[in-house]
Amino acid sequence: MRLVQMLAKKILIFIIFLLALSVIVFWLARLAPGDPLTAYYGNAVERMSESQRAAAMARLSLDKPIAVQYLTWLRNALTGDFGISHQYKQNVFSVIGKLWTNTLLLGGLSYMLTFAFSILLGVFCAAKEGGIMDRLIYRVGTATSVIPSFFTALIAILIFGVNLKILPTSGAYSIGGGGFADRAAHLVLPILVMVLSHLWYYAYMIRNRVIEELRQDYVLLLQVKRISGVRILLRHCLRNALPMLITIMAVSVPHIIAGTYVIETVFGYPGIGTLTFESARYRDYNMLSALTLLTGIIVLLSNMTGQALSELLDPRMRHEDVVKEGSGG
Amino acid sequence: MDSTKKPLLSAAVLGGIILACALANILAPGNAARMDFDALLAPPSAVYIFGTDQLGRDLFKMIIHGGRVSIFIGLLASLIAALIAMVYGTAAGLAPKFIDDLLMRFTELIMSVPSILYVVTIQAVLGKPTALSLSVVIGATSWMSIAKIVRAEVRQIHSSEYILSARLMGAKFRYTLWRHLLPNFMPSIMFMLIYNVSQAIAAEATLSFLGLGMPPGSVTWGSLMSLSQDALLTNSWWVIIIPSLFLIITLVCMTNIGEYLRKLLAGGKR
Repeated sequence: MRLVQMLAKKILIFIIFLLALSVIVFWLARLAPGDPLTAYYGNAVERMSESQRAAAMARLSLDKPIAVQYLTWLRNALTGDFGISHQYKQNVFSVIGKLWTNTLLLGGLSYMLTFAFSILLGVFCAAKEGGIMDRLIYRVGTATSVIPSFFTALIAILIFGVNLKILPTSGAYSIGGGGFADRAAHLVLPILVMVLSHLWYYAYMIRNRVIEELRQDYVLLLQVKRISGVRILLRHCLRNALPMLITIMAVSVPHIIAGTYVIETVFGYPGIGTLTFESARYRDYNMLSALTLLTGIIVLLSNMTGQALSELLDPRMRHEDVVKEGSGG
Repeated sequence: MDSTKKPLLSAAVLGGIILACALANILAPGNAARMDFDALLAPPSAVYIFGTDQLGRDLFKMIIHGGRVSIFIGLLASLIAALIAMVYGTAAGLAPKFIDDLLMRFTELIMSVPSILYVVTIQAVLGKPTALSLSVVIGATSWMSIAKIVRAEVRQIHSSEYILSARLMGAKFRYTLWRHLLPNFMPSIMFMLIYNVSQAIAAEATLSFLGLGMPPGSVTWGSLMSLSQDALLTNSWWVIIIPSLFLIITLVCMTNIGEYLRKLLAGGKR
């Protein structure tokens, strides 16, 4: 029963957040210079007759107060209608529909690999506190957290693509290709760059958390009971640190998404990120607002899921203001 | 760990870079965008110590001239962010619980979209980017984490008696902010500010690299980065690596100094 209550509350907050976000996005789109009608329908407006124009105005409620305009926009948005993309001369959602799986593939794989390695590295460094790796991880972590990921991408392209010529550096598949091996080859460099530029920072956060856990009194007790160090680390400490890990993973989502978007662009990988920056360059506002809202939804969803999961695992998390850093991007 | 060791090397290197940029007109006078058609894509040599780009422009000159714009954007953007954060954070810290909750939820909401998306959207709306507009946009989208710290500090300080007595004596919000709160939370946000400057510089670089920042003709570290896409085709490593190295060294030095301040603060509080 408590679970249902908690979920209901989370969903309610999610919806409120979503509505607020949509207000911001709507407002941003309205700030765009030019006539909103043209913004929505593109050049088609010039060919419209007087009555068509009036009908289109009425459809978007442009003759009504701004609040009604927002509600109409929201209703359209909910049915997947964000207007016409200027650049593609198509409905915004049909353009996004063709690309989002590419981004999910790149972002999802990078996310999983980043955290798989971060956890391994973090736990390893915590176990060997003060070792070479442990001291290195802090330095590398601070350095890579400020190095723009596009630079890492450029270096990777320079080494593996331009000089060694062993990996493709652009696109999601070769022209005419598209088989599994081909797609996988195109994913290697972007994923490598994603993992290398995010791994250290999160590994360091995880290391700190695990070390904190290792200093707890119960560890001493277990040691006295002659339980092996590895067992203490894996069975007890990691388990206790799990809710925190989940929180870190949830908070990292906007970071990883921003990274994926930039990396996609560097590698000319057809996905949401490339589309986003292209739309910004061509001032494709309908596309931009749809993409901003979409990204916001993904981040909000993952935050909520992360929070719910860690609260389920550890009721103490409900009252702690846990992770202070790591968001934004 | 050598946590409280003073970051002298970082400070010296950073100081050197800033000085070189400040003295750009003396060290490398003349138009930074001057093209030398006899030396297109020349590798580093005695004449062009960092080489030239595909238009025959001197990279050394462009780096120190470009650094001025980039550092200016970094400083102005974080100044703007800090101002917003101070007012917002203080307001939230002093406000009744209900409004405070609302304001903090709002920052969470804004943070749910990666700031680069806001930046490109707002910049697309504003039109042609300039150093000023980029600073404003970057600043206006990066104040949230500072505001959170300001709020936490203000909440803590606020419950102390001297603020209460100041308010009882009729001190206004602005007076309390400048006279009592600011000097108290300034140390806590100092490292955040430095971090913010480096983030803003990196943001300019990323945006210009993506072709969404400073226009192609301008000379900034970011627009130098955008040369690298073409340089990849000709395998001219110096065009890619040397400007980026300057950027990265600057950012790493700033982070080291910031980390030092943070640890100093953490140590002082204990």
